[in-house]
Amino acid sequence: MRWGLDAVHVRFGQRVALAGVTVPVDPARVTVVVGGDGAGKSTCLKVLVGLVQPEAGVVRRPSKGRIGFVPATAGIYVDLTVEENLEFSADAYRLSAAERRERGGEILERTGLAEARKRLGGQLSGGMQRKLAVGIALLHSPALLVLDEPTTGVDPVSRAELWRLISRAAAEGTAVAVATTYVNEAARATSVVLLEAGEALASGSPDAILRNVPGALGAARGASRPTPLSWRRGIEWRVWAPTGVLPGGVETVDPDFEDAVVVAALAGESRR
Amino acid sequence: MWAMVAKEFRELRRDRRTVAMMIALPVVMLVVFGYAASFNVHSIPTVVVGPGARQVASSLHSPFDVVDVDPTAGPPTARSRLRDGQAVVAVVASWGRLLVLMDGTQLFSVETAEDVLAKMMPSGPAASPNRRAEVQILYDPKLTTSWVMVPGLAGLILVFIGTLITSLGVVRERQAGTLEQLAVMPFRAWEVIAGKIAPYLMVAAADLVLIVVVGMVVFHVPFRGNVATFALGAALFLLVTLGMGVLISTVSQNQGQAIQLAFMVVLPQVLLSGLIFPVTSMAAGVQWISFLLPLTYFIEISRGVMLKATPISALWGPLGVLALLAVVVLGLAVTRFRRDLAPSSRRTELRESSPESVAS
Amino acid sequence: MVDALAEARRTSKRFGAFLAVDVMDLVIARSEVVGLLGANGAGKTTLIRLLLGLLQPSGGTVRLFGAAPSVSTRRRVGYVPQTLGLYVDLTVAENWSFTAGAFRNVATAMPSGIAAWKHELVGALPLGAQRQVAFAVALSHRPELLVLDEPTSGVGPLGRARLWEEIRQAAERGAGVLVTTHNMEEAEECDRLIVMVDGRAVATGTATEIIGGRKVAEIHCADWSRAFSTLEAEGFAVQVRGEALRAAGQVEAIGAMLARAGLGATVASVRANLEEAFVAIVSEPAAV
Repeated sequence: MRWGLDAVHVRFGQRVALAGVTVPVDPARVTVVVGGDGAGKSTCLKVLVGLVQPEAGVVRRPSKGRIGFVPATAGIYVDLTVEENLEFSADAYRLSAAERRERGGEILERTGLAEARKRLGGQLSGGMQRKLAVGIALLHSPALLVLDEPTTGVDPVSRAELWRLISRAAAEGTAVAVATTYVNEAARATSVVLLEAGEALASGSPDAILRNVPGALGAARGASRPTPLSWRRGIEWRVWAPTGVLPGGVETVDPDFEDAVVVAALAGESRR
Repeated sequence: MWAMVAKEFRELRRDRRTVAMMIALPVVMLVVFGYAASFNVHSIPTVVVGPGARQVASSLHSPFDVVDVDPTAGPPTARSRLRDGQAVVAVVASWGRLLVLMDGTQLFSVETAEDVLAKMMPSGPAASPNRRAEVQILYDPKLTTSWVMVPGLAGLILVFIGTLITSLGVVRERQAGTLEQLAVMPFRAWEVIAGKIAPYLMVAAADLVLIVVVGMVVFHVPFRGNVATFALGAALFLLVTLGMGVLISTVSQNQGQAIQLAFMVVLPQVLLSGLIFPVTSMAAGVQWISFLLPLTYFIEISRGVMLKATPISALWGPLGVLALLAVVVLGLAVTRFRRDLAPSSRRTELRESSPESVAS
Repeated sequence: MVDALAEARRTSKRFGAFLAVDVMDLVIARSEVVGLLGANGAGKTTLIRLLLGLLQPSGGTVRLFGAAPSVSTRRRVGYVPQTLGLYVDLTVAENWSFTAGAFRNVATAMPSGIAAWKHELVGALPLGAQRQVAFAVALSHRPELLVLDEPTSGVGPLGRARLWEEIRQAAERGAGVLVTTHNMEEAEECDRLIVMVDGRAVATGTATEIIGGRKVAEIHCADWSRAFSTLEAEGFAVQVRGEALRAAGQVEAIGAMLARAGLGATVASVRANLEEAFVAIVSEPAAV
């Protein structure tokens, strides 16, 4: 792996935040770290960009000037206009006047903010604010782009546009790492790490994770929970049998990616 | 409705800063207005010089507090003692004449002194010539209040901008989440800190100049002393207040908390630094508080330089204290702030790759 | 006639010149879970406020339990806003008693699921737990109608499944549930969906019905980055999914274009997913 975390341990006081987590991040690829709140996704990304130092393990990252970071909370200046926000980034990364003009124009086009360039950051909608934050991070053509929950709370149309931005960056060779709680976003990635309570429950390509779902998965109906290891999907229940033997009357189904993630989470829980 | 009341009380109980304000504020007010706020002067440091010094000194009683008797010295010495703030009243006792010099910047002390003198030495036609006293009020002969207030207000403005406004500016960054981003950008920690503080330093300096100029033009406040001394005092004081502002921001999560804390730091300075109530009038039990406040020292410097032309040699004391406070407060603030921007590395098996280029 | 818990008939709401809700019909019946899907500014929040009686409609009618919304009918509604509506500096027990006091039902006991956190400050709990508590508190006075604004935003897959279990249970006990969401996974949990754009319902039905017969092209190409750039340059909205690319457009046209660019690729027509259908619907010119 070119960049990323390798068997990293992080502790905050007495609390173990990450236990031996590996997150590979390679150029022209998108790695997604997926998990619930408190799983350690943000911590992973913070270790990756150097905001948090690990107790043990290896972290590989390029120099500060080659990293673009979008924190979980917007990360733009609400009292500055779109243009001024980009100016600040250009100053910080010391872009030449020519680079600024060219790249700035390109970013404004790509993020769809060209019309809004004189608007204050605080006047943009949530989706546009996120796009600006990503634009600021991409302005200096970083080698590594790191985004912490870029689409949480953003409407679906803006979310699709944000992912196009991300994919385009990867297509141009940038290594991208994204943290998210949305399972269907993990399905877009080339590499997934499923995190729960600081542990990597599953990792690999989405297809590989699907292929490696342990046990058997079934679907059932009814008002009450069929077994302790069941969960709701719409009006049905999904039933998971770690042993591979489903209870009677439950028909087998092929797991989709969301099923795979829930199974991994349940497996992790029963281990603990 | 009671559900609302119960809930509100419970929330209030957990909000430590507000509770502190609710309890501490009345207590502070009580202490201040009970013991500190007083325009009555109990002791007036006095110096007596001239041939008849000893005789005159022995006849002076409270509130005059004779701190030095020097028969060999004359008027120049008396004046310089007042100028350097070592005494408020200087009596020159020469043969047949009494010259009483008073420091006009100590408004209330001077009024008290005049009253007491009038009672001690009636100056009507019945009085004998060699017991007549000539009173000269130096520096602020008409006892104009604005002359004494303006240098103090200059300090107050610096406290406001330095502490309150700066803390808000830094906390805003923390609230918006952009502080994290700054830490990842190719800035070094000191660049972020200096860049954050510099604008407030400039604004405060500009405001200071404005107040002094307005004071001089509109209220005719004199500026008799050395500008460089004044600037030095102002600079040191600014560093202290800016440091306080940054320190407050490192222990506040949002602007509301910052304001509360800033308020609790600024209020005592307004009341107990000698801006309004003279320090000498404060009961000894609370007077020591004023010696902890940076504004007290700056007011000494600004009043001295502007009104009395006090030379720097007499001001090493307050300047020194300010310098020390600046080092301590600013040092503490920067250390804490730095932690947000550059987490300390611990010795682990950590390898960072050297800057690599991207193959595109 | 279905017993409607909440009903909006030809309801509209105007703020000055701005039409926030433009003639909407909405019915929520017992034991069903209805999802309101739409971009920010589509009017979802305004519609909810109209239903709850926090706003008066400019046109049409709104009925809550068969009558105009009022304080007494609001007692029968459980509402969880996106910001949870809990006091983060109070414990779970204190939040519970506050709601009990407000709704005047002292008797309800705290469900075992959250009782473990009784004396924890809400602010100290992880988000999934907070959402569980918010939901339990909203259910504590046995409302007949539940209105939930983004109930599982930020929660992981297992937590989400568990929360939806509670929502389903409430529906099975007879409550009607209205959910607003941005999350496609969540939308698929609903019995039926309403897609809102600019204050209007532009699509209704189950997720499958909304997707309808929409198809997208799925592209497999060894040099995916060049394929991506080529398609983007031609104005296609391309999304990446693992090793494949997906774009809305004619399979033949896309295949030809990629061939012209000298890229060997297989292009197939596949069913669109809900997100792609949503984006397509939202970008279409409004069909009345």
